[in-house]
Amino acid sequence: MNSPNLAIAPIKLSVKNLYKVFGPSDKAMLPHIEAGMSKGDLLTKHQHVLALNDINVDMQEGKITVIMGLSGSGKSTLIRHLNRLIEPTAGEVFLDGVDVTSLSLTELQKLRQNNMSMVFQRFALLPHWTVLENAATAKLVRGEQRKATFDSARRWLDRVGLAGYEDRHPNQLSGGMQQRVGIARALCAEADVMLLDEAFSALDPIIRTDMQSLLSELQGELKKTIIFITHDLDEALRLADHLVILQDGKIVQQGDPQQIVLKPADSYIDNFVRDINRARVLRVRSVMQESSNHGGEDGEVDASDTLESIIAKSDGEIGRSFTVVSGDKPVGYIDMHTILRSLVAVKTEVSAGK
Amino acid sequence: MIVFETVFEMLGLRQWCNKAESNEFSSVSDLMAKLGKAEINQNFWDLPQPSLDTLNKACSAIPRSRDFTAGVEQAFLNIKDPLKVVLDPLTQPLSWAIDGTLYALVALPWWIVMLGMMLFAYFVARSVRVTLLVFSILMFLTVIDHYEAAIQTLAIVFVCGFISVLLGIPLGIAMSRSDPLQRTMLPVLDMLQTLPTFVYLIPLIFMFSVTESKLYGIAIIGYAIVPVIRLTDLGIRLVDKDVLEAVDAFGMPAGQKLLGVKIPLAMPTIMAGINQTIMMALAMVVIASLVSAPGLGELVLQGISRLELGVGLVAGLGIVLLAIMIDRVSKAALKRINKVNSE
Repeated sequence: MNSPNLAIAPIKLSVKNLYKVFGPSDKAMLPHIEAGMSKGDLLTKHQHVLALNDINVDMQEGKITVIMGLSGSGKSTLIRHLNRLIEPTAGEVFLDGVDVTSLSLTELQKLRQNNMSMVFQRFALLPHWTVLENAATAKLVRGEQRKATFDSARRWLDRVGLAGYEDRHPNQLSGGMQQRVGIARALCAEADVMLLDEAFSALDPIIRTDMQSLLSELQGELKKTIIFITHDLDEALRLADHLVILQDGKIVQQGDPQQIVLKPADSYIDNFVRDINRARVLRVRSVMQESSNHGGEDGEVDASDTLESIIAKSDGEIGRSFTVVSGDKPVGYIDMHTILRSLVAVKTEVSAGK
Repeated sequence: MIVFETVFEMLGLRQWCNKAESNEFSSVSDLMAKLGKAEINQNFWDLPQPSLDTLNKACSAIPRSRDFTAGVEQAFLNIKDPLKVVLDPLTQPLSWAIDGTLYALVALPWWIVMLGMMLFAYFVARSVRVTLLVFSILMFLTVIDHYEAAIQTLAIVFVCGFISVLLGIPLGIAMSRSDPLQRTMLPVLDMLQTLPTFVYLIPLIFMFSVTESKLYGIAIIGYAIVPVIRLTDLGIRLVDKDVLEAVDAFGMPAGQKLLGVKIPLAMPTIMAGINQTIMMALAMVVIASLVSAPGLGELVLQGISRLELGVGLVAGLGIVLLAIMIDRVSKAALKRINKVNSE
């Protein structure tokens, strides 16, 4: 997913100064929050729950934006603001320049039918509908012609590997298969934006990896704008083009996932990234020396290769160095010393910063 | 009684009490008191209850107990006529429906009715066993010469059960959509359910003529409609929130959501409500025989009033058999719907 080409794509979805407070008089709480009152104080003094605090995110067209945080950080609340399943307390959400928060109920319904589809953590399939009907939900809601609708639903089911299950009911399928139906249902909507709310969190690890590969593969073809919620950093790093980290309803860091791993903004994120396998996550482009003429001696590597694959390529020789190419052009070089250093760099950086 | 007089004295209400003082004697004890033969009772052990009658003696401005019941009666009689103008035409179709069904089922040859019942049972339950049960129960009642009474009871239960479901499901849906409506309806439903079944009949007897079948029709519907309303409301409120959120996320309009998602998913609970409603209609139809509802209940009543032990017990057994029959048919229908839903 991490394309070496970091050219900025047009902004598809944009969240501006979004606040959400749960409680009977949520709007009245805004001045307190702007004055810097903490989540805990707001709860004890005013019995209101601060769920989202001044969220600003731009989501690029055709990219995967991953929103990551622990439970209670507000990530599921945030994704429900994008299609307004939850009304914001303050702030705007723009889809293609249109303010979603100002739409009337019918306009909002149209937008949900045509422009956004969603995949849920607990699948949320209709138990009394067949797999085929479930996959066709969006088009059935839009009232499209039934034969064409079911043909297209059948194609998407086939695409997610569920050919032959069309006439079953959801509770006859395993969790992984049900979520495949959920994905087929979202794809069959043919909307530009796909929202995935912890879509793979309820699945066991092997099936989860399968589903991540399926999503990557589909995204390679379809280039949808995907907003993906997860609490799993490995999953986030595997999928993200843009990573947003939430803590207590606030964005603590957002940007290129590689940069977040290399330069965590605070100890909260550092705790997150400490235990990951850095060799598998980091890409050559993030740690190489940029240079268009200085080449390595032991061959060429691609800028988007993981460090793990370079280590494997080096046969354990620490004296090797490689030319880094992106497309056909050499863009820099990398040696094994740099790679080894980058595998532990973070701890020294953070402790130096403290 | 001195006690209460002292209380009124202390409250400074003596003047207000005496204003309504009159010299008419209303009871023998009053007369005795006037004649000066009453003993003055100052023993606290024998303190009389502070009932309206006692208080009236101490202070004649306070009404007597019989004025209270008379007041309730008068209040009801006052609203009776305007209420009758509205209710009479509104409930007339109920009379027609009951009378028509009673007439039709009794006039038709017995074997056609029985065949029809069996076909109906098979249609809703799709089970040969249940259909055979219907046949054997109806056949048994025919053999012991209770066919007509049983069919009359069934006719009333069907009509009243059908109307209860027809009114109850929309009411339950409305309740599930509005919390204020639910809050106002729940005490009403509680009252309908706890009101002793005989009490239903009292205001209705005043309102309508005892010869009209809507009299017992309304009583049966009022009693039997409660479960179907309650369980429709409950069933819809219990539909999985995740599923509703998902159809919202795909922009499903409210009407489609109700008919295509909420009601189908609430169907098992609604069917349980319908089953309860029919059973309660059957229970009430026996009591309704007091106000000229025909059928097995009439025979039970005859058994009680004429001390005909056998007649009463056999008719009672017939009611039990009908209850088993209706319950098995509706349970089988419920099971079939559950199966379709979860397949």
